[in-house]
Amino acid sequence: MSTSKVSMPKFNLRDKFGDWWEGTTRNQRIVFRFVLIAFFYVLPFLDNPVFGTTESDFASVLFYPMGMYVLMAIGLNIVVGKSGILDLGYVAFFAIGAYTHAILGISFGFNFWINVVLGMAFAMLAGVLLGLPALRLRGDYLAIITLGFGEIVRIVAINVNFTGGAAGLAGIPAPPNFFGVEFLVDDPRPFYWLVLTLSLLVIWAYMRLTKRRPGRAWEAIREDEDVAEFMGIATTKYKLWAFVLGGAIGGGAGAVYASQVTSIVPELFDLNVSIMILACVVFGGMGNIWGVAFGAALLGYFPEKLRFLSDTRILFFGLLMVVMMNIRPDGIIPRKKREKVYDKNTGKEVSR
Amino acid sequence: MSDRLLEVRNLTMQFGGVTALSEVNLHVSEGEIAALIGPNGAGKTTVFNVTTGYYTPTSGEVFLNNESIVGLKPHKIARKGLARTFQNVRLFGDMTALENVMTGADSRNKVGLIGSMFGTAQSRRDEENAHLKAAELLNFMGISHRGGQLARNLPYGDQRRLEIARALALEPKVLLLDEPAAGFNPQEKVELGELIKKIRDAGFAVLLIEHDMSLVMKISDRVSVLDFGQKIAEGTPSEVQNNQRVIDAYLGVADHAS
Repeated sequence: MSTSKVSMPKFNLRDKFGDWWEGTTRNQRIVFRFVLIAFFYVLPFLDNPVFGTTESDFASVLFYPMGMYVLMAIGLNIVVGKSGILDLGYVAFFAIGAYTHAILGISFGFNFWINVVLGMAFAMLAGVLLGLPALRLRGDYLAIITLGFGEIVRIVAINVNFTGGAAGLAGIPAPPNFFGVEFLVDDPRPFYWLVLTLSLLVIWAYMRLTKRRPGRAWEAIREDEDVAEFMGIATTKYKLWAFVLGGAIGGGAGAVYASQVTSIVPELFDLNVSIMILACVVFGGMGNIWGVAFGAALLGYFPEKLRFLSDTRILFFGLLMVVMMNIRPDGIIPRKKREKVYDKNTGKEVSR
Repeated sequence: MSDRLLEVRNLTMQFGGVTALSEVNLHVSEGEIAALIGPNGAGKTTVFNVTTGYYTPTSGEVFLNNESIVGLKPHKIARKGLARTFQNVRLFGDMTALENVMTGADSRNKVGLIGSMFGTAQSRRDEENAHLKAAELLNFMGISHRGGQLARNLPYGDQRRLEIARALALEPKVLLLDEPAAGFNPQEKVELGELIKKIRDAGFAVLLIEHDMSLVMKISDRVSVLDFGQKIAEGTPSEVQNNQRVIDAYLGVADHAS
């Protein structure tokens, strides 16, 4: 067992928040959650020169890259952060979701809402087909296989007819009106709200899964896969579940993305997307969903905020990442858990 | 043979050209502490790795409760009632002590991923049981005050105890302990001996690998000795202690005078 440093930093925002949170009542928590969620829903109206983006439409930036990054990063976090499966081909699921909506929407006139579900289903199917053989491997080998998978999907999209080949597909239908909310090409706000809603649903499901048995199984696998297996955990099954759930979220994100941009080409789905989303996860704090969501939002935001620097912004962006990873190698909000207090007889968590 | 919970028959394990185990026969009966001793590299841990399914034996058979378990995956074997600890403590460092034990307890529960997500009645019952059982086991091992701490931050002795608690959470028929006293001082070894007896009395058969002879001789009901992958002796502690082959294995045989 490694004896890592236990020394506490002088000021730890996460612990301060944690202490405060544990002291709140049930009602206070409900109000806090409500205010926070409401804040995110009205965010497109709060564009201003201070934290808005001056050179690009703030609502657009909120949808892409920020919202899309957040949704995909919290999906990839289940795979990479929670379960420790290094997936370098996450873009494949994104592409599968995007093409599902594009093809079924254009050629068959399928409704967007059906296509989101189908996109997730196809991404899950792809996850099972790839995961069953690939998840027997670990570490570097698995990373290479997933990397290859990401490339295969893109290259197939270039070379077959039903994806429109290298020219891609245009005229992808937008989602139909949803209780009076119209999805128009020149108004990114509804798409942002859609991504936000999906992200909240994913976070909800994730929180429920991770505080119960599946979360413990995934963490155990991440910590020591062999020992997890010796402790009766069906590691293959839980790794496959993580992989497939992450894939489903990537697929859903792809369908939403396609419905907004209206045309897609295979080159959108190159390795850079996988790397970027992985960077969001690592930058935010692998295995901590709040860190990952925050990190993804930041990584989506900065290049747009720095747009006044034109091409050199990418340089500054890179510099920012190098500096951040040196200051906080475990991410902005690291996953390292706070210690807990349990009732000695029932084992139930009690607030301190 | 009906009371033989774990039985290993003619077990041979080869790694390439190296024979780690050769025709080894072992068994653990109900309510006993069996010990497996031998010089370094004799193949003791390999016995654990084969019986728990980490390696598939080259030949031979392993029975748990009269049921063949060769070829099953380790998690299946674990659920059938074979739990182990490790020579070098291997805990889930970033999880709390209680959560570590719960991972073992989870394997006795039914709830799956979908049930957990929707918080079905089954999932709530299972969660409650896992918490309860983990707390009980921490109490049993005398480390209930460590429950909320991260496993990696526990003192070494408590990490060893936690590892045993985690294994017991599987409700095993046979508990395999791999050098549980390694790194302990004499006082701690005495306490550990009492603890192992307490575990046996609670209804778990124990197979113990240990280098500390005074501990082995004091608590074991039966001792088997491995040397170079072969079983060279078996019997009560006193029988084994006086066995010439065992003495030779440990002290070496006088060669030609040099």
